[in-house]
Amino acid sequence: MKWQGHGNAVPLQKEAKMLEMESIHKRFNGAEVLKGVDLKVKKGEAVALIGPSGSGKTTLIRIINGFVVPDNGRVVVLGKEIDYRKRDELRQMRRRIGMIYQLFNLVDRTSALDNVVSGALGRMDRGFELISSTIGLFSREVRERAMELLSFVGIEDKAFERVDRLSGGQKQRVAIARALMQEPEILLADEPIANLDPKTSQKIMELLTKTNREKGITIITVLHHLKSVRDHSHRVVGLKDGEICFDGRTDCLTREHLSSIYGFAGEYECAAA
Amino acid sequence: MRSSVNLSHYKRVMGQGTKARKFLLWFLLIIILALSFKASQIDIRAFIDGMPHALSLIKEMFPPDFTRWKRIITLTAETISVGFWGTFLGILVSVPLGIFSAKNTSPNAVIYNTSKELVNLLRAVPNIIYALIFVTTIGIGPVAGVIALMLATVGLLGKFYAEAVESIDPKPVEAIEAAGSHKLSVIRHAVFPQVFPLFMGYNLYALDHNIRAAMALGLVGAGGLGIELFTQMRSFNYQKVSAILIVMLIIIIAIDRVSAYLRKGIIEGTLFSANKFRDYVLMAIVAAMAFISIYFIPVDLKEIVYGLPRIWEFLSNMFPPERSDIPRYIWLMLETIAIGICGTFFAIVISIPLGMLAARNVTHSPVISNAAREITNFLRGIPDLVFALVFVAAVGLGPFAGVLALALHTAGFLGKFYAEAIENIDPKPVEAVEATGARFLQKIIHAVFPQALPLFNSYNLYILDRNIRAATILGVVGAGGIGFELIMSVRLFEHQRTATLIIIILITIMAVDRISAYLRKKVV
Ligand SMILES: Nc1ncnc2c1ncn2[C@@H]1O[C@H](COP(=O)(O)OP(=O)(O)O)[C@@H](O)[C@H]1O
Ligand SMILES: [Mg+2]
Repeated sequence: MKWQGHGNAVPLQKEAKMLEMESIHKRFNGAEVLKGVDLKVKKGEAVALIGPSGSGKTTLIRIINGFVVPDNGRVVVLGKEIDYRKRDELRQMRRRIGMIYQLFNLVDRTSALDNVVSGALGRMDRGFELISSTIGLFSREVRERAMELLSFVGIEDKAFERVDRLSGGQKQRVAIARALMQEPEILLADEPIANLDPKTSQKIMELLTKTNREKGITIITVLHHLKSVRDHSHRVVGLKDGEICFDGRTDCLTREHLSSIYGFAGEYECAAA
Repeated sequence: MRSSVNLSHYKRVMGQGTKARKFLLWFLLIIILALSFKASQIDIRAFIDGMPHALSLIKEMFPPDFTRWKRIITLTAETISVGFWGTFLGILVSVPLGIFSAKNTSPNAVIYNTSKELVNLLRAVPNIIYALIFVTTIGIGPVAGVIALMLATVGLLGKFYAEAVESIDPKPVEAIEAAGSHKLSVIRHAVFPQVFPLFMGYNLYALDHNIRAAMALGLVGAGGLGIELFTQMRSFNYQKVSAILIVMLIIIIAIDRVSAYLRKGIIEGTLFSANKFRDYVLMAIVAAMAFISIYFIPVDLKEIVYGLPRIWEFLSNMFPPERSDIPRYIWLMLETIAIGICGTFFAIVISIPLGMLAARNVTHSPVISNAAREITNFLRGIPDLVFALVFVAAVGLGPFAGVLALALHTAGFLGKFYAEAIENIDPKPVEAVEATGARFLQKIIHAVFPQALPLFNSYNLYILDRNIRAATILGVVGAGGIGFELIMSVRLFEHQRTATLIIIILITIMAVDRISAYLRKKVV
């Protein structure tokens, strides 16, 4: 296994498609949650996904990493169309997509390092590595990499602490390190700061931006905090009632757009205004 | 971008101490396990050699022979009746004893401590030992079984009742006390309404437990189906044996379900609310069975009165306890503990896959999880003494048969407990690990087990406690341990030996009970 750092700041213009979704439909118990969503994301972009509760943001995110199967439409991730029936293909694809959750979703009672190391499981899926990683033996290389990532997210001193003893912000840092352990090409984040105080939220958003800039990882973040949207994303996708009603550069997002998405403009100070 | 983080530095600072402790713990565990294997004569060869024997034994059981159905029905009725009587009398004694041994309702410290210790003592004696004593003093038959179950029930319910009473809300009690009421009326009007649902739940649990136990009591002559099973087994009528086993299994599983359903309804307060008709029918059936058992199948309580002098004689003949054989008995007790440990070990080994298969959030296939659940029901449904009887026939007399019996019977409990623990874990971290692209087993071990492990350990300790207790009486059917000495001493009227053996068993069980309770508190 070879660890390679990514170059700095991947240029935005690069046309490599990371994600293409075409006319995605999804119904839950008869209610149409996604009504034909089209979305293309390029390499290195930082996309903010906004929209009122119940508009289908989480569903859209979970379709990308295969936890929700769309009723129809096409999803191409990293140049490969997802076949939701093929479990192993789905798993291989998940390896390359990191996921950050609102409630952190760490495995309690184990240490921060244990949690980060588990991000490497998907890669260690064959032969001896599969057996050793399954029973919890990881090579020095993997553990050192995990330590590096813990220091990247700024909590290397908590490596051996049980995660249930950490604060919310620290937990989210561990979760980010776990996702980075996968060496993902896309990072999905579903309301990563909804459970954090404003100052911690700011730091976590900065960390995600740093990840996007330094590692060139494409990021799609579901956000409710509009200041964070403005400060930390290149592009905004607005979802309303299962349809995309805004898709453009962050500085093009106006009060009018926002009130059409949310029904009111909120506290957002429009960059373009 | 290699950073200068030094992993081994952190390991030295933070990781090493706990690691060394963990290592030591595992080392100790393996040593204890190895010694227990040796002491309980675990023998893979005997197991492999015994397999064809066991299979042919099972083959001989088919087709089941129900020609003695009249006798089976009579004995089944007797078994159920013994269970009801034991529970009923046990409840009558437990209510005052439970109130006396609860801190907040006990009249004074002397009564509190005496009744509490009495309950502890009653709980420590396995019910088969009670049965053995009463069969020899007041004679073979259901009365011995009823008294045995009554005493065991008091040990169980006395503690449960006291805990329930101690956990009540003190505010209504104060309010009624403030009105200047008599102590009894405080208990009647402030305590009782609060604990009633809990008491009812415990009573149902005791009933379930007692009918199950009554199936096995016959093995020592205390009435019920067990005696018929034992006789047919000893005369190699395996087709008749299987007929009895089937009846036992059906009854135990049916009672287990009804009791679990009603208890859930009582504790959650959902009884008579959602599915009224079914709840009333179930309650009516239980009540009718209670009435029939207690009214129409009267146990001749006069026998107890006639037996009293003989019980007294028995007890007084126990003193002074025989001391010459103590070292040998202690060795036998160690062998007994070893049987309990090995039985628990194999139960765990069986239950980990069984529990995972039974957990609906792991298998995602109702067919598989239901099948695994039925296996646990089956294993739980056959009393360990009955399993022991079968294994003695398959692998021969000795502790190994006991180990297999305990392993299978308690895998029925552990498998169910594990499945419930796994179903109650937080699914979010599991999804997160799955989202990293982890394979199935990686996900189970890294996201499911860490969450369920403390509960698993707590259940394991509970089962270990239970198995060491059960191992003390496996000797009754020749499956090793101290029980054989015990039954021989009783049969040969060597009361002083019996006394020594019972004292050793009691000390061990009480010690194991304390240690297990202490450790369980620590792991959760
Ligand atoms: N697994 C599911 N089963 C049934 N309904 C669901 C499921 N997931 C989401 N929904 C429904 O779909 C709608 C959109 O949900 P979601 O994608 O979580 O919205 P958002 O993340 O934008 O708040 C909601 O009405 C929700 O109740
Ligand atoms: Mg959501």
